[in-house]
Amino acid sequence: MIGVLLAGFAGIGDQDHQSAMYLPAWRAQAGARIVAVVPSGAGDLATAQKVAAELGVPCRDHLDAALADNSVDLVSVAVPLAQRADVVTAAVRAGKHVLADKPLAATLDEVEAIATVLAAHPRVLVPALPHRLASPVLSARAALASGRVGLPWNVQADFLVAGGSLAPTGELLNLAVHPVDVLHALLGLDALRVHVRRGNYWHDAPDAPEDFVALLIDYDNGVTGTIATARTGELDGVAPGSLIRHRYRISGSHGVLDVNAGKPALSVRTASAASSPWVGAGPVAALVDATCRAVTSGAKAPVGLDDARHVHRVLDAAYRSLGSGRPEGVTT
Amino acid sequence: MSEVGVLVVGAGFIADSHIRALTAQARATLAGVVDVDPARAAAFGYAHGNARHGSDLAEALTWPDVDAVIVCTPNDTHVAIALDVAAAGKHLLVEKPLATSVADARRVVDAFAAAGRVVAAAHTHRRYDYGIAVRSVIESGAIGTPVAARLSILGGWIWPDWRAWVLDPERSGGHSLHNGVHLLDLVTWWLGDEPRRVYARGRRQTAGELRIYDYLEMTVEYARGGTAVCEMSRAHRPGSFGYRDVLVAGTDGLIEQGWDAESSLLFTEGGLAQVPASGGDAFARQLGAWLDSFDGGDPVMSPDDAVLAVALGVASELSIERGEPVELAETFEAVRA
Repeated sequence: MIGVLLAGFAGIGDQDHQSAMYLPAWRAQAGARIVAVVPSGAGDLATAQKVAAELGVPCRDHLDAALADNSVDLVSVAVPLAQRADVVTAAVRAGKHVLADKPLAATLDEVEAIATVLAAHPRVLVPALPHRLASPVLSARAALASGRVGLPWNVQADFLVAGGSLAPTGELLNLAVHPVDVLHALLGLDALRVHVRRGNYWHDAPDAPEDFVALLIDYDNGVTGTIATARTGELDGVAPGSLIRHRYRISGSHGVLDVNAGKPALSVRTASAASSPWVGAGPVAALVDATCRAVTSGAKAPVGLDDARHVHRVLDAAYRSLGSGRPEGVTT
Repeated sequence: MSEVGVLVVGAGFIADSHIRALTAQARATLAGVVDVDPARAAAFGYAHGNARHGSDLAEALTWPDVDAVIVCTPNDTHVAIALDVAAAGKHLLVEKPLATSVADARRVVDAFAAAGRVVAAAHTHRRYDYGIAVRSVIESGAIGTPVAARLSILGGWIWPDWRAWVLDPERSGGHSLHNGVHLLDLVTWWLGDEPRRVYARGRRQTAGELRIYDYLEMTVEYARGGTAVCEMSRAHRPGSFGYRDVLVAGTDGLIEQGWDAESSLLFTEGGLAQVPASGGDAFARQLGAWLDSFDGGDPVMSPDDAVLAVALGVASELSIERGEPVELAETFEAVRA
């Protein structure tokens, strides 16, 4: 049984992916048990205490004390982005495995610092990039890898969310992380060059960051990829923060694969609401399950530090492109 | 207004669509056909009610019942023909692009302004059902201010063989000018904003020896901050592939039209096929607007917009060549100089 410490109930802005995503997945995961929680600070103390009471586990005062607990095998990290790299490295140094909210860190330099620590203290580190494990994406990846469309030469992606809180960092560092990683997973190719267009179309505050990003990426072998991602305003009948368009179209030398990553879902309509409940295990459950298998069997996790590093290299080039207004090379 | 006599110049396949539009209404009639190939002109004339035919444009422009001209010739011939039509005092509907350079496009528009005659470029997608429907929703205010668009028109039909003039960039201006302008114009019309910058990527997918890009991706930035990403392809496989996808995001909502939104799906032993819904005739609508504009009616697309479409296409080709974004102002510099 894997003992899990829930570290933090926070994230970028008002995010609490621990409560919304990881806590339910850990509770449902056979072979894992939440043994303690620890807040990231005063801001999520009340949430941590409430969760601890509900689960009947201790709420630790400090991370160091929580990491000293021998019943903790793995830390589920959902602390504010500014603390994330430090918490991840502290957990690894303490000999714990880690599942870390995305993005893994605030900068590429922080990711490299994590890599250095991980090399000295080998543990399972799974960055939470769950969409590559969504069932239609897994199937698409297998179809591509078996040559169903021939040699891919272009991917188009849409990742649109309606409503919810705009990430104070801008959505390039938040929503865009997901499709950047999925394209990497689908193609198995490294990005070489990035051009970015951003906008703020739905949020009026004068200093609001981007809520729209178009990433135009050149990959190895002349493959091109385009990602449109946005957090739009709220839409009627859509729960705030829901994905409303999540698609990947892969064009290859011998065919086209059109992936609606909103599948597989049911369509349910009632007098008062419409919903699309997922069919089968969702991507977060798949991520947690894969993490557990990696911890217990030693198998390589399906997403790891190198994948997070690739995401951050793309983001690093993207931020440089925003500054220069031109395509910028991805550092290797 | 009495019945308008229309001369068709260029008897290739797109002329058939214009002829069908002509024969479907009563305000205009086919006055004759001109083609550089006399035999093709004769065959075309024979097939369309023994219409008068010839291979000399100057002579045809003197035929007494010619009031207006529809030009369906290769893109690099548009300018010279258009200037002759303007000099003859006839109205003109010319296949897109209006010209293959901004300077030439401007010359044509100026010549028709001086002659007091109408010139229009056949940007037919503004008259397709989907083009009109999207614009209508935007005009209704339902999605607020349109800010971002995605338009993909993808096919697998490459031109017949290496003799196709479209494959020669000197003749077609490149794929951005030949087909790309449809999308560049349409998204600009939908967004209702001034394009400022183009970043394009092109690919020679069907054959490495191609001199045009059979796949284009063109990203346009607008003055008020809007963004459009357009894909135009003749590069996809299978060859029967036909796929159009529309997304327009506004400050208050979204418009989407998926690839199968206008079709029924037919499942047979041969696989899956689309059965498109019976729709309006874009060429007929285009012809009607053109005829209306002779008397001051709304031309749907202004001559300045036709010049702008050329500038966007030129910027796209330039951006692919450079691998960097191109300011639209740069494409107008030759005109100002």
